Amino acid sequence: MATEPAERLLNLIIALTNARVRMTRSQIRTAVPGYTQAPVGGSAADVKAADASFERMFERDKEQLRRLGVPLETVESAYGDEIGYTINPSAAVMPSISFTSEELAAIALAAQYWQGASIAADLEIGLTKVASVNSAPPRVPEGLRVRSTAMSENTRVIIEALSRRQAIRFDYTSESSGLATRTVAPWHLLLRGGAQYVVGFDFDKKARRTFRLHRIHGGVEVIVPEYICRLPSILPDQSDSSEPTGTARIALRDDAGHALRERGTVVATDGDWDVVELSWHHLDQLRDEVLSLAGRARVVEPADLRDEVASFARAAAAVAQASCGGGHG
Amino acid sequence: MPGPRPLSHKRHVGVVMAEQATTRVARLLGIMSFLSEHGTSTEDALAQHFGVSREQLHEDLVTLWVSGLPGHLPHQLIDFDGDALDKGIVRLTESQGVRQVRLSTLETVALVGALDAIAATASASDAAATARDKLVSALGNGDMVRSEAPHPADPAIAAVLRDAIERAVVVSISYVDAAHRRTERTIEPHHLVVIDGDTYVECYCQRAQDYRTFRVDRILSAQAGQQPITTPPGEDGGFSLNPRLQATVRARRSARWLFEALPGVHLSDDGTDVVATFGVADTAVIASQLLCVGPQLVSIQPEALAHEVARQANAVIAAQA
Repeated sequence: MATEPAERLLNLIIALTNARVRMTRSQIRTAVPGYTQAPVGGSAADVKAADASFERMFERDKEQLRRLGVPLETVESAYGDEIGYTINPSAAVMPSISFTSEELAAIALAAQYWQGASIAADLEIGLTKVASVNSAPPRVPEGLRVRSTAMSENTRVIIEALSRRQAIRFDYTSESSGLATRTVAPWHLLLRGGAQYVVGFDFDKKARRTFRLHRIHGGVEVIVPEYICRLPSILPDQSDSSEPTGTARIALRDDAGHALRERGTVVATDGDWDVVELSWHHLDQLRDEVLSLAGRARVVEPADLRDEVASFARAAAAVAQASCGGGHG
Repeated sequence: MPGPRPLSHKRHVGVVMAEQATTRVARLLGIMSFLSEHGTSTEDALAQHFGVSREQLHEDLVTLWVSGLPGHLPHQLIDFDGDALDKGIVRLTESQGVRQVRLSTLETVALVGALDAIAATASASDAAATARDKLVSALGNGDMVRSEAPHPADPAIAAVLRDAIERAVVVSISYVDAAHRRTERTIEPHHLVVIDGDTYVECYCQRAQDYRTFRVDRILSAQAGQQPITTPPGEDGGFSLNPRLQATVRARRSARWLFEALPGVHLSDDGTDVVATFGVADTAVIASQLLCVGPQLVSIQPEALAHEVARQANAVIAAQA
C-alpha cells in the first residue's frame, strides 16, 4: 500500500524523536513505513534503482523537515561508519504560549501581511502551530485588514537568509557607486512605510550598509554552502557612523509631519507653524519627507536642504505644467 | 484494543493530494498537541479549530491512528477511543508523546516582523505588541525585522474606530485632507486597512453621501455616536484603494528605483529614459513620490496626476520662500 508523503513524514518525525541514540539511513528505510525497499531477489539494477529512489525520498523528507522547523541532528558513530540522525524532543517541541483572543487576531493579521512574498504556505503552517497550543485558533479580526504592496520574491529570499544566517549577493544601484554587485551579511530587514531595506555588513566596503530593496536589480542570491553570518555582539544603531549626520530645523504646519515631530522636538512656534529640531542621518531621506508634506513643511535650516527641496519642486512643477498644457514629453 | 477501521479512507483523495505534505503534517501534529493539552474534543470542533472540512479532519484522524513508533505493533501506535469516535467524539487514549513542532525560524521571523510592523502603525490594539513579545520570549529571533511607520495612527483614535466598527455605530471625525483642509464629518466605518504602514478607515461618509477612504493619521479627533450604521460595506473586500486611473510617467533612468517599487508597474527602458505605466489608487500619494525624483522627471500623464504634482510642487516652493 502506498503511503502518502505526509504520513511518511509524520512517522519519520515520531521515529527520530524516539530514537535512543540515532537512526542510520538503512534503519530509517526499514523502520519508517513508506520508503522504497530493496527488492527481495531483484537484479543488481533493480536494487540500484530502489536505492536511488529511497535516497531521493529521504533527501526530500530532510528538506521538508527543515522547512517545518524540525531540528534534525546528525550523529556520527565512534566507528566512523554510516551517519545517523536524531531529533532532540525538547528542542523540537512547540512551547506552550497562550495568547489572548486579541493577540490571536493580531497573529492572523500578521500572517496576512506577507501576501506577495510567497511565504504564504510557511505562514499557514505557523498559524496551525499557534492553533495547536491555544484553545482558539488565530482568525483575522472583522474590520481590520493589512496589506503591503512592496513584498517581492527578494523579500522572501532575504527573510530566509536572515533566518538561516546566510550571506547574500545582488546587483545594486547606489547614488555614490553606481551599479555593482554587493555581497552582504544581512543583520535585519527594515520596513519603513512602503519601502524595504536590508541592513548588514558589506564585505567589499567592510562596513555596515543599508540597501533599499527597490534598487536591487534582478534577484537576490543566497551564498551557499552555508555561510554562517555572525551577528555583531552589539548591533550598531540605525545610523551609519561613517555617514555624515547633522541637525535640521523644519517648520511644520499644525498637525502635519507626525513622523518628523516624533523624531525631534518643537523648539519654537511661528504663527501656524511649529519649528521642530531633529538630527538626520540621510539628508536625501529628509528631503523626500519634506517634499512629501506638500507645502506643510518648510526647511528653516540647513540652507542647502532648503535649496534642494525647492529645486526638486521647481523641476517637478515645470514638468507637470508642461504635461498639463498638452505637452507630450 | 480497537484497531484502525476502514473509515472513509481515500474518499477525498483529491483534496488531500493538493495539500502540501508539510502543511498536513503540521496539522496532524497540531491535532495531537491540542488533544493532549485540551483533552477530549469532537470532530466538528477540531475541523473548525484547524480550518478544514470535517471529511479532511476525519482523514487526518485515520492517518494518525495508523501512525506511531517504528515496529508499528499495536502498543506502539497512536490510539483513539473507537466507540467515541463513531459518535464524532475524539478521545486520545495513547499519544506516544507526539507533539507539535516549534515554529521554524522563518515562521517566527516573519510573524514577529509583521506583528512589529502592525504594532508600529498603532492601528491594532496593544495585542500586536504583546503577541510579538510572547513569541520573542519563547522563540527568540526578535530583531531580524524592524519597522518604522512614517505616519503612525493615534492609538486613541484607532481604538475609537475599531470599537465603532465592532459595535456598528457612526463616528464623528475631524479630518485634514491632503490639501490641508479641515472638515467635520460623520462616517459609517466598515474597515480599518493598513497598507504599507499607513492606516486607512474605509467608510460611508454621510457628508459626501458616498464611500470614502480616510487616512487615520489625518483624523484629528474621533467620537463614536449612538446612531447605528445603515450603509453596507463597499464591495472591494476591505481594500477600496484599488487603482482609479492608469498613469504613464517618463523619467531619467536614475529614477528607476522609484517606479520599481510601485505595485503592478510596467517598465520600459530606452537606454536614456524609463517609461513607467502603473495604476494609481491615491493621486496625492503618487504625486508626492514623484516630487522626490523631480529633477529626473520628463513627462507625466494623465493630466489629473500632472495637476496634482504641480499643485504639491507649487505648495512646496511657496512654503520654502
